[in-house]
Amino acid sequence: MKQSLIGLLLFIVLSLPPVVTLLESIMIIHMHMQMPLLVIAGALFGRYFQIHFPHFWEKWNGNGIPGITLFVIIAVYWSIPRTMDDALTYPSVEVFKFMSLFLLAGVPLYDSWKRLNVTLKNSVFILFTILFLSMGWLYLNVTQQLCNNYLLIDQITLGWGSAAMGVCIAIYLLYTTFTDPSQYE
Amino acid sequence: MVNNNQGLAMVLVLLFGGTLFYLGTDGFQVFTAEGARVNQLMEEKPQFPEITLEDSEGQSYLSSTFKGKYMLVTFFYTACSTVCPQLERNMERVYERIPKTYLGEDIVFLSISFDTDRDGPATLRSYQKYFKSDGETWRMARIPNPVELESLLDVFGVIVIPDENGNFAHNSAFYLVNQKGALTEVMDYTKIEEAADTIVELLEQGGGKK
Repeated sequence: MKQSLIGLLLFIVLSLPPVVTLLESIMIIHMHMQMPLLVIAGALFGRYFQIHFPHFWEKWNGNGIPGITLFVIIAVYWSIPRTMDDALTYPSVEVFKFMSLFLLAGVPLYDSWKRLNVTLKNSVFILFTILFLSMGWLYLNVTQQLCNNYLLIDQITLGWGSAAMGVCIAIYLLYTTFTDPSQYE
Repeated sequence: MVNNNQGLAMVLVLLFGGTLFYLGTDGFQVFTAEGARVNQLMEEKPQFPEITLEDSEGQSYLSSTFKGKYMLVTFFYTACSTVCPQLERNMERVYERIPKTYLGEDIVFLSISFDTDRDGPATLRSYQKYFKSDGETWRMARIPNPVELESLLDVFGVIVIPDENGNFAHNSAFYLVNQKGALTEVMDYTKIEEAADTIVELLEQGGGKK
């Protein structure tokens, strides 16, 4: 129960107007900090749903695939330049961003992750590696401003950030492929 | 074993995702807000508002002076060192591709500065020397009245963000306004030949009627 409370509290703090303004003023923080934090808040809060509706998850998300798919859809959706821009321009899109990352990405991620087998977990990592690397490549190579609300320099920063993120996940994948963690436990 | 419920859940999730992406990208067409803006402008074809321009020669006149002619409009500021010089250079290359007989008669090139404070007539005059702008068939001007400037930027969807160093970030395009003062084309400023071809074609069609 404590875990869900922390999740809810994190969500509330992230929704405070000064926090929103601060986190969204810098593009890379908007994408690589605010959005993941919303997902984390949702994942922590997911415990609440699991305790109260265990049958629901077991019945609809037994193998974790529908849940993780929903998570991936939401995550990819918010990495489209336009949706990020629209969230800054239209309050209704902003509300949807908060709710969807919290409830439709974070909550199902929590429930699905432990249901997935290793191959599926690695597929998700590989997918995000590709997503981040290609996003990094895109943002670094497009000289046009993709988001009207941010400066070009912010865009380049985001490009490097995303590429770095992609590289980190790739290193993690290589590490787990070539080492056997059970030896160290 | 995959049971029916999970299959159904998967179908629902995918349907939801498909709908979300479809709606969020206007039917998989537009992935940037800029793309959405251009599409909307082309649909609405807004009128160029009536404003007072002050050009590099120090002359002031109403924008309706150009009624009956096409106007190719760009937005820039002279202190800009990034996109604007390229934008104006590309405008120059479009300018060179328009047959001389049309220039000034059927079409006017107009570069509008949104940095009203710094871009007075003298600054604009020295800036236009870098380009083939002659101050007549291709004019550089500012809009002294801030309310009028705001209304024009708003109608054309130009978003200007000032940064800490006295520069501005802004979205750029070639805006083509027709003889009746309606915005008819918003063109990619990096596709010079395409823009020039579109303009020449329109001029040839409209040339006989004039």
